[in-house]
Amino acid sequence: MNKFLFELGLEEIPPYMITPALEHLSRGCAALLDENQVPCEMRTFSSPRRLALLLEGLPDRQPDRKETVLGPPVAVAYKDGKPTRAAEGFAGKEGVSVSDLKTVETEKGQYLAHERQIGGRPLPDILTDVFLQGIRSLSWPKNMYWRESRFRFIRPIRWLLALWNDEILPLELEGVRAGRTTRGHRFLGQQEISLADADQYEEKLRENFVLVRPEERRRVIQEQIEAQIPQGLQLLPDPALLETLVHLTEYPGVIRGTFSQDFLKLPQEVLVTVMRHHQKYFSVVDRTGAVQPWFLAVLNMDRDPEGRICQVHEKVLQARLEDASFFWEADRKKPLAERAGDLDQVLFQEKLGTYRDKTERIQQLCRQLEKNPDLDTAASLCKVDLTTEMVREFTELQGEMGGLYAREEGYPEVVWKAIYEHYKPVSLEDESPSSRNGALLSIADKIDTVVGCFGIGILPTGSSDPFALRRQSLGFVKVLFDHQFDYSLEYLVEQAQKNFPSKRPKKEVRHQVLDFLRRRVRYVFQEKGIAYDVLNAVLSIEIRNVYDAYERARALAGIRGEEDFEALAMAYKRIKNILAGQTIKARAVSEKQLVEPEEKNLYHAYLDLRPQLETQLKNGDYIDALKRMAGLRQTVDRFFDKVLVMSEDEKLRRNRLRMLHEISQLFLTVADISEIVQEGK
Amino acid sequence: MKTFQEIIHRLLEFWMDYGCVIQQPYDLEVGAGTMHPETFFRVLGPTPYKVAYVQPSRRPADGRYGENPNRLYRHYQLQVILKPAPGDVQDVYLESIRRLGIPLEKHDLVFDEDNWESPTLGAWGIGWQVLLDGLEITQFTYFQQAGGIDLMPISAELTYGLERIAAFLTDKNSVFEIPWNRELSYGDVRQREEYEFSKYSFEVADTTMLHQLFDLYERESNRCLEHGCTLAAYDYCLKCSHTFNLLDSRGAISVTQRVETIARVRSLAVKIARQYVETHEQVPV
Repeated sequence: MNKFLFELGLEEIPPYMITPALEHLSRGCAALLDENQVPCEMRTFSSPRRLALLLEGLPDRQPDRKETVLGPPVAVAYKDGKPTRAAEGFAGKEGVSVSDLKTVETEKGQYLAHERQIGGRPLPDILTDVFLQGIRSLSWPKNMYWRESRFRFIRPIRWLLALWNDEILPLELEGVRAGRTTRGHRFLGQQEISLADADQYEEKLRENFVLVRPEERRRVIQEQIEAQIPQGLQLLPDPALLETLVHLTEYPGVIRGTFSQDFLKLPQEVLVTVMRHHQKYFSVVDRTGAVQPWFLAVLNMDRDPEGRICQVHEKVLQARLEDASFFWEADRKKPLAERAGDLDQVLFQEKLGTYRDKTERIQQLCRQLEKNPDLDTAASLCKVDLTTEMVREFTELQGEMGGLYAREEGYPEVVWKAIYEHYKPVSLEDESPSSRNGALLSIADKIDTVVGCFGIGILPTGSSDPFALRRQSLGFVKVLFDHQFDYSLEYLVEQAQKNFPSKRPKKEVRHQVLDFLRRRVRYVFQEKGIAYDVLNAVLSIEIRNVYDAYERARALAGIRGEEDFEALAMAYKRIKNILAGQTIKARAVSEKQLVEPEEKNLYHAYLDLRPQLETQLKNGDYIDALKRMAGLRQTVDRFFDKVLVMSEDEKLRRNRLRMLHEISQLFLTVADISEIVQEGK
Repeated sequence: MKTFQEIIHRLLEFWMDYGCVIQQPYDLEVGAGTMHPETFFRVLGPTPYKVAYVQPSRRPADGRYGENPNRLYRHYQLQVILKPAPGDVQDVYLESIRRLGIPLEKHDLVFDEDNWESPTLGAWGIGWQVLLDGLEITQFTYFQQAGGIDLMPISAELTYGLERIAAFLTDKNSVFEIPWNRELSYGDVRQREEYEFSKYSFEVADTTMLHQLFDLYERESNRCLEHGCTLAAYDYCLKCSHTFNLLDSRGAISVTQRVETIARVRSLAVKIARQYVETHEQVPV
């Protein structure tokens, strides 16, 4: 059994791209190998400067295989029992004699054929092709050129390792020829490490201060962090930062530094952001979660004997905290209320105006949603922090800083908290604002952005969503859900639209936005485990209240398996089909024109059901509502058995259609149950 | 080697030995070494080139009256362009850092993703900020586009932050404490300047005049282009850019004007780059 080691040596790759790239490369190569019928076990390795694959259990060659090549039809190939020129020509082309040929049965009749024996290619040849193709098929979020060949890649390729057991494979890419040497840690290890064979890879690199397994680097970092946390304190967990650091280092080591207690007067949010965002430090907190004057930094080396490295880190952090302190003091000299005018200087979007304009729109929207002076105050101030030095320097603190400054100025909690929280949720995993005002402000801000952008034709595409409209919409939906707000999507979009002069036809924009929002609702419900057909049933009708739609979905999911309900769903589909394409004039059903007993029964059953359903819907008793609807099943079935809806008598026909239409409309106040797929089908 | 001027000397010596043309700072106000014609023009077109120079860089918005230990109205960059980017460019850079007396096995030097961009020049690149024990000391970029033109061959641009490096080497907490030479400190030489220029750009500058100047410079730049004086056109483009920076730091540019003004400077840079490529690159260097 053979081993193949492949290493692509690059200049430092952005950390967040490494894992996806390695996965893509290994999956791509595995698929290509599979196509070539080469089995193997594959292991992957990476560091900021390398992507590597180790394949084990490889045979010497591909398995031999057969390939059938068709020749002339038998009818043409033989005449009077003898082979014709056609047959001989084919045999000759295949390099065999006619007697070596076979006959095969095809759809078009019998044909002459040659079963070619194709010898498996030697593995080394296949591997060369597979890996070159694998590398070329990698797609990166951002590419660069470095050579005249205009080959685009994430970073320049500097070395290649390709070892088949102990032999070098003749791979060449962009001027780099594969060899048996790899490179160790830039400063602690050798720059040219020669490998006798694939087995030496991990160990030789380890000797040269490169750990090629991210999981090992992660473990080292976590262990060293644990060991260095001061007694009685704990780490502020930051999984995203940990991942970045795992992929930013080849040989990690952790140091612990301090900063002056004076800086603890700064808000926690500021301290943590400064440490994490600019310096990639972990923060340390006490049992109550209060930040302590320590930090943990991850280096790309394991030693700092004289503490010199730590000293520099401390100095850099000090400079940043001093800046932050300066901002904290300077910003508070100008009260938030005085800054409203300054928002004229902060552009939101060229055609949508400044943040002052946006603030006015948000205020308008909030007034529509709820007459609440605290909400109004919060709305008037929620963007003002964009004019502060702190937020200009640390943009990720927007919202939070506004809330903190408001708190400092003595605004009541119902106001400052709303400002603090209104950007939430920033992702599906993040929480919605906890306060009601915060939630209202959040949806007002988000719907303003989405409607505004759609209105001027800024729509997210597959590769571009500069205003994060997907994220905004998702957050919007999530807040509506979590707070169970009773506003329909249509209402909210319409209100938001009122604030914009019409450039595009308003109806068209509204449809686009609602469609977009509905897809986000679908996503949220899917994440909660609602099946796709239930989603279709509930989302085909107007979403008058996101949480309510969810309750319906749950009720539907609960009842779907029941026999009566399934039958009713099928019957309803029938009703829907009959009604499709018919124009029904809005005229009342004429009882007199109901002739058959079955249609009379159906109509009476409907009349009985209607008020009950309306009450149940008003109370949110969806399960009962659906059960009642399901109770109609027999009556509907008998109707279809005995009554011809499309009667030749126009009067009867129209009356029946009107009745079915009314029934359909009633059902649709709950859900479009025709979307429910029969179980077991 | 522990003074500001020795550090500059040592770096220039390194790059001189490497074979670079050692140029001098451009004699106009610029915000970065990249804006020097020795970078902006030389990276365009196919002709190889290697150059190194110090460039005092003015950023009026960063002025702090000489009171902030880290931020300056004007700081010094050491700019290197290597065209085409050599295959071992990272190693050569690291060698230059070692030549400054920094033992890299005892420090933590990291290439941290950072892609640089200059909207006013229509330029951008891919690369890293180089962190030394957490301190940013260099912007390391593979130049991809300048003046809106895709570049080939690709130049490597190394921009050293001289004050940062000096503060690191001399172990000072404030830029002003760095010894400039054996007798005088950075503050002795420059602090007064920092104060006055901060005062000028934040409080004194006549914004009406600046708006007028911007229009005049823009017009003259276009005139130069019409007459085929590409390099002179670029001078006026640089003047526009600095004037914009002054207006911006003074708070005299509204937010929509900002977008528009940047677009005007960029438009000049693009025309200039195009004219340069069409005319100069026919003449062998």
